[in-house]
Amino acid sequence: MGGSGSRLSKELLAEYQDLTFLTKQEILLAHKRFCELLPQEHRSVEESLRAQVPFEQILSLPELKANPFKERICRVFSTSPTRDSLSFEDFLDLLSVFSDTATPDIKSHYAFRIFDFDDDGTLNREDLSRLVNCLTGEGEDTRLSVSEMKQLVDNVSSRAREREGRLGLWLKLSLPQILEESDIDRDGTINLSEFQHVISRSPDFASSFKIVL
Amino acid sequence: MLRQWSVQSGQGPGGPELEPAAEGLWESEMERLCASRAAVRTLPYAMADKRFIRQLREPEGVKTSCWQSWQRRRQMAGRRLGEAAQRLARGCGLWEGSLYEIGGLFGTGIQSYFTFLRFLLLLNLLTVLVTAGFVLLPLAWLHPPDPGPAMNLTLQCPSSHQPQTGVPKFHNQLWNVLTGRAFSNTYLFYGAYRVGPESSSAYSIRLAYLLSPLACLLLCFCGTLRRMVKGLPQKPLLDGDYRVPLSSKVFSSWDFCIQVQEAATIKKHAISNEFKMELEESHRFQLVQQQSPAQRACHLLSYLRVNILIGLLVVGAISAIFWATKYSQDNKEESLFVLLQYLPPGVIALVNFLGPLLFVFLVQLENYSPNTEVNLILIWCVVLKLASLGMFSFSLGQTVLCIGRNKTSCEPYGYNACDYQCWENSVGQELYKLSTFNFLLTVAFAFLVSLPRRLLVERFSGRFWTWLDREEFLVPKNVLDIVAAQTVTWMGLFYCPLLPLLNSIFIFLTFYIKKYTLLRNSRASRRLFRASSSTFFFQLVLLLGLLLAVVPLGYVVTSIHSSWDCGLFTNYSAPWQVVPELVALRLPPPGQRALHYLSSHAFSFPLLLTLSLVLTVCVSQSQANARAIRGLRKQLLWQVQEKWHLVEDLSRLLRELDPGEYPCPESPHSRASHRRPFCPGFPCPGSPGPRPPWPGPSLADPGLRSPGPGHGPPRPARRFRLPSGMELQ
Repeated sequence: MGGSGSRLSKELLAEYQDLTFLTKQEILLAHKRFCELLPQEHRSVEESLRAQVPFEQILSLPELKANPFKERICRVFSTSPTRDSLSFEDFLDLLSVFSDTATPDIKSHYAFRIFDFDDDGTLNREDLSRLVNCLTGEGEDTRLSVSEMKQLVDNVSSRAREREGRLGLWLKLSLPQILEESDIDRDGTINLSEFQHVISRSPDFASSFKIVL
Repeated sequence: MLRQWSVQSGQGPGGPELEPAAEGLWESEMERLCASRAAVRTLPYAMADKRFIRQLREPEGVKTSCWQSWQRRRQMAGRRLGEAAQRLARGCGLWEGSLYEIGGLFGTGIQSYFTFLRFLLLLNLLTVLVTAGFVLLPLAWLHPPDPGPAMNLTLQCPSSHQPQTGVPKFHNQLWNVLTGRAFSNTYLFYGAYRVGPESSSAYSIRLAYLLSPLACLLLCFCGTLRRMVKGLPQKPLLDGDYRVPLSSKVFSSWDFCIQVQEAATIKKHAISNEFKMELEESHRFQLVQQQSPAQRACHLLSYLRVNILIGLLVVGAISAIFWATKYSQDNKEESLFVLLQYLPPGVIALVNFLGPLLFVFLVQLENYSPNTEVNLILIWCVVLKLASLGMFSFSLGQTVLCIGRNKTSCEPYGYNACDYQCWENSVGQELYKLSTFNFLLTVAFAFLVSLPRRLLVERFSGRFWTWLDREEFLVPKNVLDIVAAQTVTWMGLFYCPLLPLLNSIFIFLTFYIKKYTLLRNSRASRRLFRASSSTFFFQLVLLLGLLLAVVPLGYVVTSIHSSWDCGLFTNYSAPWQVVPELVALRLPPPGQRALHYLSSHAFSFPLLLTLSLVLTVCVSQSQANARAIRGLRKQLLWQVQEKWHLVEDLSRLLRELDPGEYPCPESPHSRASHRRPFCPGFPCPGSPGPRPPWPGPSLADPGLRSPGPGHGPPRPARRFRLPSGMELQ
């Protein structure tokens, strides 16, 4: 890259620093990486600020490629009408929330939106089971036969960790526990405040919810 | 602009319209945003909306007063300073690239080991800085005069301690470096520090030398405590259940920093394993609940049996260390001198290598849950490690200072003067040897065990080799090793003031060696390693090591006579006596009286009473808070239930008025797709059918909005409207 044509102006940098949690170097690096995703002829500063990069290209970034939530992340941060592309400012918002210095509040807020697969503002059972499937890499929620369930339940005293139990059983038995622990107002779903309350009990969260370029 | 939005979304004839109540909610939300002092970047809105809010708060045309612009500049400068200080505290970006790479490949669990290494490096460098600044620099600057030749002491030593002739002396330069003899007369060890009497200079090097280890230990204590507290859950746990709840485990399992597909797959397997283990744990727990008292007693007995067995093993191990140290010190003139020099560190290393293997074997004979197994083995490994170091220092104390045995050889001077002309140097050398040996062992293991293992496993492919596989990078074992090394360094602060510098070099090299081992010769563990709970545990072990180092130091500094002919404290009955002497010499009488009062019982009892009072108030306050939280939870539950009762009652009423038009609303436990909560960043609860395609009311440009087809849930059930007065009559 190089050259003055691809540098952001000082005022714009200061404004971005004010509106995000990123430092100057991080913003410049983000701009450079964003410009690399654009076609060669549209890489000037003004065009990069207006351009919308489709999801397929954003998802090719190494930082997002291996993430099971990559589509959800892009969808949550996208402000385009068709919600299938990111502008540079959306990209900066994304990096700001995932940066080191972002507050735990804003991280948990966006984590909630990412985990809310059906975008209805609450986490219900389907959201939770889709979340677990994403985390464990399993396919569809498999049906469990009676004998398998019996086997797993009866033989817990032996070396059951060697055994390949179906995750479906785990889901069936543990979703109620998850909901019971987190759902304070007992309406069957987890809303934002309940989610933030649960997350506050896990000090792991802030350090694992990080993406750095 | 809110009305513009609702108009744009379109309303069919007689269709649901934006309820006045919901609109009022949004307006109050806007007012709250504008009035609040929270920085704009902490608000969960898109960039365009944040700009809009910022403009609402401070319209551009309005001139800002000098005071406001000064305040803003001050805030910005304060924020930059805070960021720079945070960066400094984390090591000025040392090793950031490596940490990033390791996190991307293995996740935050293994990355936490390397950040712990960086933390210890910083602690050691800080210690070196304090020592250098307060002791070495003034020593070099002031050039204190040499106090003259040592006193001529006549010693009556038993004849068996006469040096034997004909023993081959090892003059090898390398060997002298490894045992510390090459540095005997340098500032590395206590003996080389010399200074004139106290009255001759304004700056007391003795006081600095005495207080700098104590100050460093205090700083390390504060740093470790701070890091430990950060690893604790943020909010207090009311019901006393200190296990991390399953829900927060599920929500925080994924490491978003992983960048490699294979690592992501391994991580998914590890998460899957953990979830299955949770299932097993809860089943086991239920089984245990259902046990009869006889079975429970049996279970308890077997638990005791295992622990007693392991306890006996530990006792045997530390007595082996005791014997080894004693033998090595008693037989300094033997022909196997070379081997005996390194006997104690060798035995300690052997014990700490075999011990965990035996523990694992014994514990796995019983049938505990995996979590219990891991915790039990870990606790016993920690006990073994710290006990072996404690026993080592005790046996040194016994040979050098006659602690715990008859004191005939220590009679005249308070220490074993026949064998040790300068006992602090000897103790310092022992600790130096231990530290060096640990590091050499790390290097040897990395290059002589892990590397050949990887080469062999890659080259051959039999059943044995696939079973052997590459070495698993076990974070707990590695952390225990460096904590032990740090404890040794802390133990040696008084005798060997520059030992932290040596330890810093070792830690620096260990980082690269471990990184190489991890990236080339290891495989990732199938067990999920949670950074937070284990970080807390290892900071705790570090604190225990610090306490273990402080106890002998405190004892030596206050009660043991220093050597007569080397070091700084030759004419004092104990090093601590410098303090009263200086107080009497330098402080004016009122100051002396104040200090005397502060150290007397008349001050400490009222202090203790005040602290107890403060503690009682804190505890009762937290109990009151817990009660309030329980009450509020119940209230929240009742309110939600009451709300749904009202909804059902009202809809029943309306159905009676006009059947067919108002289908009954769904209860909370079915797919409540029309209920949307009210919170910032989300669509408004009263939003009409096809809701806006992105979350968050875009406040700035409603013109962009157009409902996307097929987005969001299916058209919700007709929301019921508060009936107007006319309808009800």
